[in-house]
Amino acid sequence: MRQATREYSFDWMLWATFHAASKLKKGTEKEYRSVLNYIPYFRGIVENVLKLGEPGELFVKMCERYLDNLVHVHERGRKNAITTFCFSPTIFYAMDITPVCMEVMTAFMTLTYKRGTAEFLDYCNEVGFTETSCSSQRGSLGAYLAGVGTDIDMIITDTPGVCDTNANAFSFAAAYLNKPFFQLDMPPVLTGERSNEYHRADYRALISFLEEQTGKKLDIDRLREVLAEYEKQDELINELEDLYRLVPNPLPVPFSLFLYASRFLFAGMKECTELLESMLRSGRENAERGISGLSGGSEKLRAFFCYIDHYTQNLHLWEMLDSLGICYAGNILSRYWAPDAPYVKEFQMQEAAYTIDTATVDTMIDSLALINSRMPMVKSIRGPYDAPNMWLEDTLSLAKMYRVDFIVYNGTPGCRNTWGMLKPFARDTEKAGFPTYIMYADAFDDRVQSWEATRERFEEFLSVRGLLG
Amino acid sequence: MREALREAAVVINNSFVRSWKAGGKQIVGYTCSYVPDEIFHAAGILPYRIRGFGAEETTIGDTYFGPFICSLPKCMLQLIGQGDFDFLDGAVITPGCDSMRRLDDCWRKAGEDYPGIVPGFFFHFGVPHKCTDYTVKWFAEEIRRLIDAVEHYFSLRITEEGLKASIRVYNRGRALLEELEELRIMSEPPFSGTDELAVILAGSAVPRDEYNEMLQEFIEESRSRAGIDGKRRLMLVGSANDDVELIRLIEGDKALVVADNLCFGSRFHLDLVSEEGDPVIALAKRYLSKNECPRMYGQYRARLDILKENIQRAGVEGVILQNIRFCDLHGAENGLFERDLEATGIPCMRIEREYGPLVETGRMKMRIDAFLERIEQRKETA
Repeated sequence: MRQATREYSFDWMLWATFHAASKLKKGTEKEYRSVLNYIPYFRGIVENVLKLGEPGELFVKMCERYLDNLVHVHERGRKNAITTFCFSPTIFYAMDITPVCMEVMTAFMTLTYKRGTAEFLDYCNEVGFTETSCSSQRGSLGAYLAGVGTDIDMIITDTPGVCDTNANAFSFAAAYLNKPFFQLDMPPVLTGERSNEYHRADYRALISFLEEQTGKKLDIDRLREVLAEYEKQDELINELEDLYRLVPNPLPVPFSLFLYASRFLFAGMKECTELLESMLRSGRENAERGISGLSGGSEKLRAFFCYIDHYTQNLHLWEMLDSLGICYAGNILSRYWAPDAPYVKEFQMQEAAYTIDTATVDTMIDSLALINSRMPMVKSIRGPYDAPNMWLEDTLSLAKMYRVDFIVYNGTPGCRNTWGMLKPFARDTEKAGFPTYIMYADAFDDRVQSWEATRERFEEFLSVRGLLG
Repeated sequence: MREALREAAVVINNSFVRSWKAGGKQIVGYTCSYVPDEIFHAAGILPYRIRGFGAEETTIGDTYFGPFICSLPKCMLQLIGQGDFDFLDGAVITPGCDSMRRLDDCWRKAGEDYPGIVPGFFFHFGVPHKCTDYTVKWFAEEIRRLIDAVEHYFSLRITEEGLKASIRVYNRGRALLEELEELRIMSEPPFSGTDELAVILAGSAVPRDEYNEMLQEFIEESRSRAGIDGKRRLMLVGSANDDVELIRLIEGDKALVVADNLCFGSRFHLDLVSEEGDPVIALAKRYLSKNECPRMYGQYRARLDILKENIQRAGVEGVILQNIRFCDLHGAENGLFERDLEATGIPCMRIEREYGPLVETGRMKMRIDAFLERIEQRKETA
């Protein structure tokens, strides 16, 4: 790692970036345009996000707030916990703990910095972590291992049984940094009393761990408040999901990113709700006017990403889809399995959904356990891919419901859990009538495959399959 | 006796398997040391640890697994697709790691293209990643689910008494393997690490009652053999290895592997199953409390302590930390071991390898020789 990189605190640097970005629109348009000239490597994302109006501005503000919480966590007398994207942060907010989502931190830097997290990715390897591990964690983990981030208080994951490389990154970090560690373990079957009981017992052990680490008991009123907010967000998301079904889809391409980012960062908190409400207002307006969310106004194709997006600099992926006239029906990250979610109701998948019951502390903890067990990836990548409620069933039902023309897989080479069966999976989605494209890029590291090559191959797929003219 | 053990270690469809099948009896394969053999023994079924040994290509494995996957399950699927495991009547797949758990999906899907390779009994056996009261309870239920499935499919009954008797048989085997381990760590051990691995591998492919007798004979015979001296004493740690040739390569004419922490190694026989109380609970406790594998997250310090203890006990002079490419669990933990063991003055060498034919012999031999020279120089300057 370069000495220059060590000179700056990783999370402070990100916070300063988003802090400045959150103020960009406070001046005149002329001032805004002038400032863009001074941020050549950041202007791509700034322009792509802020051109979406209020939702874009709220998105930047939300990111800034998250980083602000992290940078000032200890001076505000709180503890923090490194965690993962597929772990609902609701419980942390209910217990006044500041979450530090490893993958989101990686994505922040990948999206906004010219070389992304390259130096931190490599630093992990320098201290013994494997280069074949998933870049989604390595990108920010390197900063914390190098001691250039905020001091971490505890490390928590929920991917054992779902994703080894994810769980292993957290386990490694705990051993390397000598920090308290807790894992929520996931049995291979999602539903049924045996799995539910396991999820609940495990979640109660988590709460005991958090109480021990913070020295505070779980505040029931606070928990009820956070869960009520979570439920409110579910309703907003359900309506957004319904808008996704319209032809043309009235939601701009980056809204899917906003949706899942808001839940990863602030599930159960006002910051998330505020953004979702704004997105919904914007989507409703477009829907009422019958116009597409695409900037070209014309919807040529509909795509579903069955895994994750591609986060390298400047929202390239979203910009590409938008410029090609491809409406984006979201990905695995934007589905939460709320009881009234359109995909739950459409396919009578109530058993796979969680329920929220705020009657007693026990029912609230049970609700949290079920919410967590239905988080993206945790829900559907745990058992064999073609088992009930797992990846194939989810992908095909969502693809059908959103009437997509093709399915795309994108992940990272570190993703053992999907690369282990991706070929037969794609064969099955093809058999079901969906042209399926497997991207060999790395979502967080464009040194693996440059964005230019990634785009060329993507367009080649559309051309070879006769999908785009 | 040595020859019989060696044959069982290096031939997939060995003479014991052939003889077992000739007797009209069933065999169930499994992929991970967290599957209790005792269940199958009690059912009169031969439990057989599925291996990838002997695969000369991975064309079939690569058709179903993606490119970023460990070559061990790929080699297993290759052999399965080639029909080398056609003698199996059943298979049990566990989430030992992500690559291995996907053998479930890939094997079944390969069965659509290679008819007849998926045995009639095919079972996904869940194993929690930590040991607590509720995970032991869940695991005991999972063991009962497996027992029910075996009873139903093979139309037989596994009684509590039968299970307890099988536990005793396997405990005897474990005790004998401990005796073997005691011989192995002697200052002049009567056999090489290559021989020792062959003996352990045989245990995963030979009926346990017969194996125990052979093992006892081997131990008795070894006691009267001259010891091997003048070799550098090494420990081998990391990804699964079921290839005796890898140990032969490491040992060469300068070294002995006197200790290990391997899945097909000393990990396989650590700890006895309690012979008291409910046998299913006893099995659940023993198998789940085995935290030697990095799949049991958050247990690094405990594993480091085990390594340190074994290093001291066996007089180890250097530790080889190896991992199969894409085996991040062992690869990452090896990085921690290297940091912490080197800090206590124990020389370590980290090496990444491919599973399967020893295509990297030259590279590995050169690195091992350099490591042995490092240990030598260290001795000279001490």
